[in-house]
Amino acid sequence: MVTTTTRAVNAIFHQFSFARSVRHQINMADYKEAPLATRPRTLDPNDYFNLSQEKRRADEERAALRANLKRQYLTQLNNPSRTELIEDPALTRWVYARANPFPHFRPTFKTSLLGIVFGVVPLVTLYYIFKTDRDRKEAQIKAGTRDRKFNLAY
Amino acid sequence: MAGVGFRRWAQTLTKGRGVGISALLSGARAASGASKGSLPGPYPTTPAERAAAAKKYNLRVEDYEPYPDNGQGFGDYPKLPDRSQHERDPWYQWDHPDLRRNWGEPMHWNFDMYIRNRVDTSPTPVSWNSMCKQLFGFIGFMLFMFYIGEVFPAYQPVVSPAQERSDELFM
Repeated sequence: MVTTTTRAVNAIFHQFSFARSVRHQINMADYKEAPLATRPRTLDPNDYFNLSQEKRRADEERAALRANLKRQYLTQLNNPSRTELIEDPALTRWVYARANPFPHFRPTFKTSLLGIVFGVVPLVTLYYIFKTDRDRKEAQIKAGTRDRKFNLAY
Repeated sequence: MAGVGFRRWAQTLTKGRGVGISALLSGARAASGASKGSLPGPYPTTPAERAAAAKKYNLRVEDYEPYPDNGQGFGDYPKLPDRSQHERDPWYQWDHPDLRRNWGEPMHWNFDMYIRNRVDTSPTPVSWNSMCKQLFGFIGFMLFMFYIGEVFPAYQPVVSPAQERSDELFM
């Protein structure tokens, strides 16, 4: 009820703001996040209910991995005799993975469909559209029915 | 493959006369640069391969989840949660503050899409339903009113009968 009233107010009186006798409250319990976006952390039930020993142990292991990487990085960063750039192997791996997908490519139904839809169909469709349009205009010019206003030479 | 071989050949030769040539002949290579097992490889099939891949990408074995093997070219690259860099803690001391990323941390496949100049997956302040209603309500209302305005135009030039008669002379 509150949301439909709010919507009606928004839709009809969107330019005006008038004093309302009752403050329309927005109930965060029925907050629905946008598709592909995340839920705010204060509304995430995992933060309140899923606090088991296993989760804490997992978090500690991740923190240990993170701390190890941090130590490696800071050792190199604060080395006074270092002259070269600090190479990041994760970055190298990412670049390599993005640049070399073909060794792992396999023609399946999905990949073939994607290839056809994005590679073949636009080419063929645009060729067909432009060709028929140009042929139609050429036929009109030859028949003398086309209104050609812009002269190239006078 | 041939490119790598030539590069190694050039590197060993430029190291000088004595050590360089003998290193080239014996087939040894420098210890710098990426090691052989540190680059992405094919999809892992056995649990041992999964553990090795998780170690390579600095992930826990339980956290490591490769992309499904559907031939799209991912290999053993890990499938990280689709979260933008906008969502990361702005107050933590990141190694690369503008990217909100630490050194050595595994990068999302679409990392360049999730940087802070681009796609943002952080929670919206207003709920999705409310946003939809406001946007489509406004657009619908404006379309409806413009349609009404076409049917019942409210502005027409008002001309006196004398002026109308004098206008006709110049027709």
